[in-house]
Order: sequence, then structure tokens, then C-alpha cells
Amino acid sequence: MSGSLSRRKFLAASAAVTAGSLAAPWVARADAQEITALLITGGPLYPKYWEKIVQDFTAKTGIKVRYDLLEFTPLTAKVVTLSAARSSQYDVYSTHTAQIDSYFNHFAPLNSYFSDSELADFYPVAVKYLRDPKTGNLAAIPRNMDARVQYYRSDIYQEKGLKPAETWEELVDVGLKLTGNGHYGLVVPGQGDPAQRTFSDLLWQAGGDWVDQANKPAFNSEAGIKALTFYRDLIQKHKIVPPDAVGYQWNENSTEFSSGTVYATFDWPGAFATLSNPETSRVVGKWSTAPYVRDKAAISCAISHAMALNGQSGRKEAAVEFIKYTVSTDAQRLQFDQFTNFPSSQSLAKEVIAAAKGPQAAWLQQLETTIANGKEWPKLAGFSKVCTLMFSAIEQALSDQASPADSLNQAATEAEDIMRRAGAYD
Amino acid sequence: MAPAAQAPVLGRRRRSPLPYTWQRGYLLASPALLVMLAILIYPLGYSFIMSFFRWDLSGSAPFIGTGNYTDELFGRQFNQALRNQTIFSVVSITIEVVAGMAIALLVNGKLRGMRLARTLLLVPPMIAPAVVGLNFRWLFNTQYGLVDALLRMFNLPDIPWLNHPAWALVSVIIADVWQNTPLMVLLFLAGLQSLPQEPLEAATVDGATPWQRFWHIVLPLMRPVIMIALMLRIIDTFRTFDVVWLMTQGGPGGATNLLTVYSYLLAFQAVDFGHAAAVSYIALGMSLFVLGLLYGVPWLVAKRRAI
Repeated sequence: MSGSLSRRKFLAASAAVTAGSLAAPWVARADAQEITALLITGGPLYPKYWEKIVQDFTAKTGIKVRYDLLEFTPLTAKVVTLSAARSSQYDVYSTHTAQIDSYFNHFAPLNSYFSDSELADFYPVAVKYLRDPKTGNLAAIPRNMDARVQYYRSDIYQEKGLKPAETWEELVDVGLKLTGNGHYGLVVPGQGDPAQRTFSDLLWQAGGDWVDQANKPAFNSEAGIKALTFYRDLIQKHKIVPPDAVGYQWNENSTEFSSGTVYATFDWPGAFATLSNPETSRVVGKWSTAPYVRDKAAISCAISHAMALNGQSGRKEAAVEFIKYTVSTDAQRLQFDQFTNFPSSQSLAKEVIAAAKGPQAAWLQQLETTIANGKEWPKLAGFSKVCTLMFSAIEQALSDQASPADSLNQAATEAEDIMRRAGAYD
Repeated sequence: MAPAAQAPVLGRRRRSPLPYTWQRGYLLASPALLVMLAILIYPLGYSFIMSFFRWDLSGSAPFIGTGNYTDELFGRQFNQALRNQTIFSVVSITIEVVAGMAIALLVNGKLRGMRLARTLLLVPPMIAPAVVGLNFRWLFNTQYGLVDALLRMFNLPDIPWLNHPAWALVSVIIADVWQNTPLMVLLFLAGLQSLPQEPLEAATVDGATPWQRFWHIVLPLMRPVIMIALMLRIIDTFRTFDVVWLMTQGGPGGATNLLTVYSYLLAFQAVDFGHAAAVSYIALGMSLFVLGLLYGVPWLVAKRRAI
């Protein structure tokens, strides 16, 4: 027998390798006791957290979970790409209220997997904005709540005899007293989604809303113009916010406070852990929290990180088991212990608030109040594209390229057109 | 009399019109061609088709003809991105070519330290655009940045590099010029070193000034190299993304939104792949049009002169 590789043998081997690699995904899929998940990470503790969750889940159910971790922005981009490709690569996705309307047709409805009593334990604001308003389908289930409170430098405030601002007017007054010598009284983000979130809070506080009863854009109302004017003036007129804030997103916003340059900000629950850690904060022990400011109303956004089931998944039952485990009391408690992430379960939230002491108890209570009064922008068809439009409109007003009224009026006209074309009024 | 048609010989293979070596060549190249087809041509074709559909994640994707193209061409955000793209491409390419030629002429001389200078010129093009973007974001930060700190040292006013619309566009142009001018220098240097010396020597003997030698001899002889450099930079500026994304994300208020950044926002923020694909194809069409002008106009002029 000849030892050399004949052309026939080479072609046969190549065909076998090709067939094997093509068949591999189907062979893997045949194993119903293994699911795949694309999960969120953010910071060094997250991989350990997911490792523990997955290990505990496998020990309890026998279902294995293969998972990949990505930070929020690349995760969102990947979910968009995979959904567009109708991919079944992952059975379970980490997701968020922010862009959920884009996935209403791609995430499998979770209504039938959760009883009414189970859903009743989640914060209503979280469940409401994860539902498709047209069909009532629940696109995802909340894993932890995202809301903001005021973080301020208690040492500086005490030294200057100041109290944390409660109203818009006080925010400016306090900010003016603190600004100078390279320090600023306040920092707010001014770019992209964070700018829209900030405008949204101010819009609701001024008594306005994104859309009217007929779902037509209403953010250019008197309240909207007042909100955007106030927002712009914080940076351009009163100059109590760093000028570069028009290019800031959440990270820069948090860093300005944690580095000690700025004396107040509005930040998410994760900031509590970051600011308490000497490795990530220069102001450990020098800050405290207070409620978000108010104008006519005390409203700000209450959104949630959530878990979703891929509509293309061939292992839905096992995947739902995993989703249920990630939002279970045990998993949420572990999340709170590790990252101080606020639970989406109302009963667990009450427990952790009751058990908390000192500044943490006050902070949790402030968060709970924000969430109870919280809102989110509408999940209407085309609203994700309206958001892109709003980023630009808000940034133009903040950077003095256009007046708040002109920016909002132009955006409102274009937003109605976008939503009409997307079928929001069909 | 016409020769009788040759009867087909049964049992013999029909000869291919291509020589045997060609057949073997195509056979050997076919795996690579297939891969190219799968990873380059197929997505290109697919995204082109996508640009004629309302392609979001809403489930249905109706055919809307040129709707995405007309929406964008008459849209405010697209026109802002187009304006930014034009300013960015024209200004940065002009500076890069002019400065590139000037520096190439300088380092082409036999001055001391030119070898080191040529080596250092390799550094900026070797750095990843993402790193360049991040560095310039910090350099241009009003509070902590080195540039404004230097201005303050000389009692000059701060410049709002990244938070003023006009300065933000200037900032991304500076970053692009910093990274790409050395590449132009290297291209022009290679061209200058391969120029024939006789015409230059003859001009010197005839008493031509350095400027006259440059304008009447060097520049015409360098034309093919300049054309290549322009072509590379035109293609590149229409693809610029990383530097702008890391410095400004297209802000403030779309002031630095280039067509690539706008297309990315449409696809991954607005989840509107139809419009994003249309914007990408308009950008591709524009760069092909500009390249066509670049090569077509001189060709037409030459042809007319020949007539």
C-alpha cells in the first residue's frame, strides 16, 4: 500500500472535515441538556458572579450553560446583529429596557412561563416597559433595577454649610457656591443615551412627557423646552458643569465625581460600590446620597437589566429554566451582595432595605422611592430611531448650535414621521 | 470550396477553449475565490439588496424601492454628515498631501538626523486608529488635556476642542492629519528617490531656481505617485470611523458625524439596517465618483489634447 496521499484520499478527507464542521452545530443542538447564553459583564466581579450562578443552576437542574460575557455596549451591538441574522447561536440574552422595543419580534414572549403572582412581585414599572404595548407580550424579565439618586460630597457640603439640592433652583444655587478653583458643583452627561436620559428626567420633572394621548410627540411642549433650557444653562450659562460634559457619557460622568473634581452628580446603583472602593474612588468616606432633584414633579427614569429568550431558540424550556433562576431570590440576593444591584423583586427589595444600616439604608430607601415614582420613555414602533434623533437634538441645544425650542420642534416633526413610517399609528 | 466540416470524434473529450494551464490555475484558485465570494461579495450584495427594503427588526421587511435613499438624501442628519464628510475629506487630504510633500522634500535632502526622522515617521501610521482617537481625546480635554494646559502656560485662552461644534471637527482633522501625513511622506519620499536626476541637473545648469525645478520638473514627474496617494486617502477618509468614534462619537450634536459614524448609529442604535445600508452605499458611490473624477478628468483632457 502506498503511503503517499493520493488526490482521491485528499478530497475524501477534505469532504469529511467539511461535513463534520457543518454538522457540528446540529449535533450540539441535539443535546437538550445544554443551553447557550450571552450575558452582561462590567467589572472584575461579574465573571465570578456568572460562574457561580451557572454552577448552582447546573447542580440544581442538570442543565449545562455555555456562556459568553460582553459589556453593555458591545453586547447590545451583538444582540442586534444576531437578531437581524435570526441566529440561534444563543438561547438566552442579557438585555435592557433601553432598546427593548427593537426586539419585540425577536425575543420569545415570556408571559406563559411566569404566573400572574410571580409577575406581581416584580416592580410594575419594570414589567410595564418590557412589554410590547401592541400585543402585551412580555419580551424580557427584569433582573435588577436601574435608577439614579444624587451623590454629593458630604465633607465639602458640611464645610461650606450647604445641603444637597432638592429643587432645580437649589441645584443651581448650590452649584454656583461650589464651582471654582478647578472644581465644579455638578456633573451631568451630555452625549448620546445618557443625555437623553437626563433630558427625559428633566422633562418629566417639568410636567411634560414624550408623547401625548394619541402617541404623537409631545416632548417639544412648554415643559420640554423648559427642561432642555435648564439642562443647557447648567453647562453654558451657569457654568456649574465642566464644559467637556457635552461629550460625556456615564463613565466620564462617574469619573468626574469619583476623582474629586466635581462635588455632585446623579448616578446609578453601581456607583455606590464604585465610590466605596479605594481602588476606584478618591472620595471614599467623603460622600453621601440624597434624592434626585425635582421641579413640578419628582420623577426620574426607572429601568431594568433583564433576561430574554431568543425566539429562534430550539431549547426554550431549558432556557426558560435558566432565565427563571437568574431572576430568582437567591440570584438577586447574590447580585445585591456583590454589586449592590437593586433587586427587581419587590419583596426582596423590602428585605434588603430592612436589613441595611446607616448610609446604605438611606440610599436604598431613596432608590426605592425613585423606582416607585419612576418612568421610562415609550416603547412605540420606531422609537429607537427617534432616540438617535434625540441624541443629536439634545446635543445641539447643549452645545449652543441651536436653541432648545428649535432643536425640539425639528426633532418632533421628524419623530412623528419616523414613528408613522414604523407603524406606530397603524 | 469550403473545407468539409470535421465530424465529431466519438469517445474523445471536447477541448476546452482555455489552455490546460488556465484550467489548472482556476481550479487551484477556486477555494480562495469561493472564500472571497462568501465573505466579501455575498455580504456586499446582501447589504445592497437590504438598502431597498425597510429592514429593521420588526419582523416584516417590505420592499420600498429607493425609499431609504431618498429619505436620507433629503434628511437633515444625513446632510449634516455629508457636509462634515466633505469638509473632513477635503481639508485633511489637502493638508496631508501638501505637508507630506513638503516634509518629503525636506527629509530627502542630505541633512543631519534625516535617517532618524525617516524612522520616526513610521510611528504614527503604525499606531491603531483607536489608540490615536483615545490619545487625542485626552490631549484635547479642556480640564485635564495637555494642549489646553500648554495654552494656559502661555496665558492663552482655553480652546473648547471637543465641546464646540467647529473645534470638534478641527480636532478630528488634526488627529487624522497627525496619523496619516507620515504615510504621505513615505510615499512621496519613495517617489522622489526614484526620480531621474538628469532633468534636474540640466535645469540646474540652465539656472532654474529650486522652486522652478520643483514646479516644472519634480511635480509633473511625481504626478503618478501623488495620484496613488490621493486615491488611498480618498478611500481612507470615506472609511474613517475609529478615530472619530473614540474622540467624539460624532458629537457634539452631530458636528463630527461622518457618513460611517452616521451609518453605524443607524444600524446599531436606531436598529435600521435599510437606511444604514443606503448611507453606506451613498458613501461608496461618492468615493467612486470622486475617484472617477480624479482619474477621468486628466484622461479626458489628455484625449482632447491628442485630438
